[in-house]
Amino acid sequence: MRIVVSLSIIIFAALTWGCQTEPDSAKLIDQMVVSTNFDPQADFAAYTTYAIPTDTIGFVSNNSTDTIITSPESTFPRQVLSVIRRNLDDRGYVRVARNENPDVGVNVMVVNDFNLFQEVVYPGGYGYPGSYYSGYYGYGSYYYYPYVNTYAYNTGVLIIELVDLKNRTPDNKVKVVWDAYLGDVYSTIDRAKQSEDAINQAFIQSPYLGK
Amino acid sequence: MRYIILLIVLFSCSSLLAQRKYIYLNLDMNKPLSNTEWIEDLSMAAGKIGYRGFITPNLSAGVDLGWANFDQYEPTSTKQNATGAITTDYFHYIYSYSGVISGQYYFKPEDEDRFFPYAGLGLGASTNEYVLYYNIYQESERSWGFLARPEIGLLFRFTERSPLGIMAAVHYDYSTNKSDTFKYSNFSALGFQIGLMAMTF
Repeated sequence: MRIVVSLSIIIFAALTWGCQTEPDSAKLIDQMVVSTNFDPQADFAAYTTYAIPTDTIGFVSNNSTDTIITSPESTFPRQVLSVIRRNLDDRGYVRVARNENPDVGVNVMVVNDFNLFQEVVYPGGYGYPGSYYSGYYGYGSYYYYPYVNTYAYNTGVLIIELVDLKNRTPDNKVKVVWDAYLGDVYSTIDRAKQSEDAINQAFIQSPYLGK
Repeated sequence: MRYIILLIVLFSCSSLLAQRKYIYLNLDMNKPLSNTEWIEDLSMAAGKIGYRGFITPNLSAGVDLGWANFDQYEPTSTKQNATGAITTDYFHYIYSYSGVISGQYYFKPEDEDRFFPYAGLGLGASTNEYVLYYNIYQESERSWGFLARPEIGLLFRFTERSPLGIMAAVHYDYSTNKSDTFKYSNFSALGFQIGLMAMTF
């Protein structure tokens, strides 16, 4: 009998464990996805100077009318911009002011997607066509109040763009010659550290950047 | 097709009317054999449940339902393409569910002894969901396919009069589940299952 009980427990535990499992969320978000793209026609060695803001990055959101994230409201812009600057400096580019005719402009922004949705849950199946009431107060049973489940997810990508200001078209159009998408910046364990690591990685996997 | 359905219905009805039957609940361990570059790790997160009835002293037929989760971690790496690169770590998952109508031949008649070695074949369908998780993102593809499952196994009753016993079996699953995204032309796995069996007389 002991064998039967032990086996039953083992099988039950294994089968429960075997239900559709997903990766550990902490392991999933402990590092950002770093995706970079470049224009194969761009000559990155031909650029010498770049311009980058000091304490402000762009913000695009479906949940806010803000268009920038700036210091001192947030420490994020300064931290991100300084890491990008250090990497560009290390590649031999020289930072200049925006009015000093830079070869490359650096755009940095966070694109935020906020979604909220709700569902009403009727315990016992109340409310569904063809189903019975699960009970009603005063009739020897219980009335199960419906309740509302609220779900929200907030996602964001940090985008870095290098814009070619040196080779403007005659009608003054410019081209993005390199970009990096780093995500997710909202679901992180240590946003500052992970953002820094992700920016460094974006440059590591782009060896063509540099003088 | 009509004849196949008729055969399955007759097969199932005959097993339901059979005098001696057994049900089982098994833990299943599976080793993927196809596209092992994507997942090759042994999966312990799987189970099978089934019902089988004896049509003759040596033959049974029934229904087996199974589920299995396969997963494998791919450490962080950088993948280059013509105009860029991506760096991340990946979690590969396959969620598999199957159902077969099966038949078994027992090498000893049903009323002899406590050991019942058998060989069988199950035919049915399976659905696999292939999922790639990375950070908060995921890509997935679901596919259905025909499943063939040859199996050899053993039933062991605890005592000669006991309805309870142990079931152990080795099975090979071959299904036509394809995934273009994850480069599966079919899905096959070798499994070992062990668990509890309850037999009625």
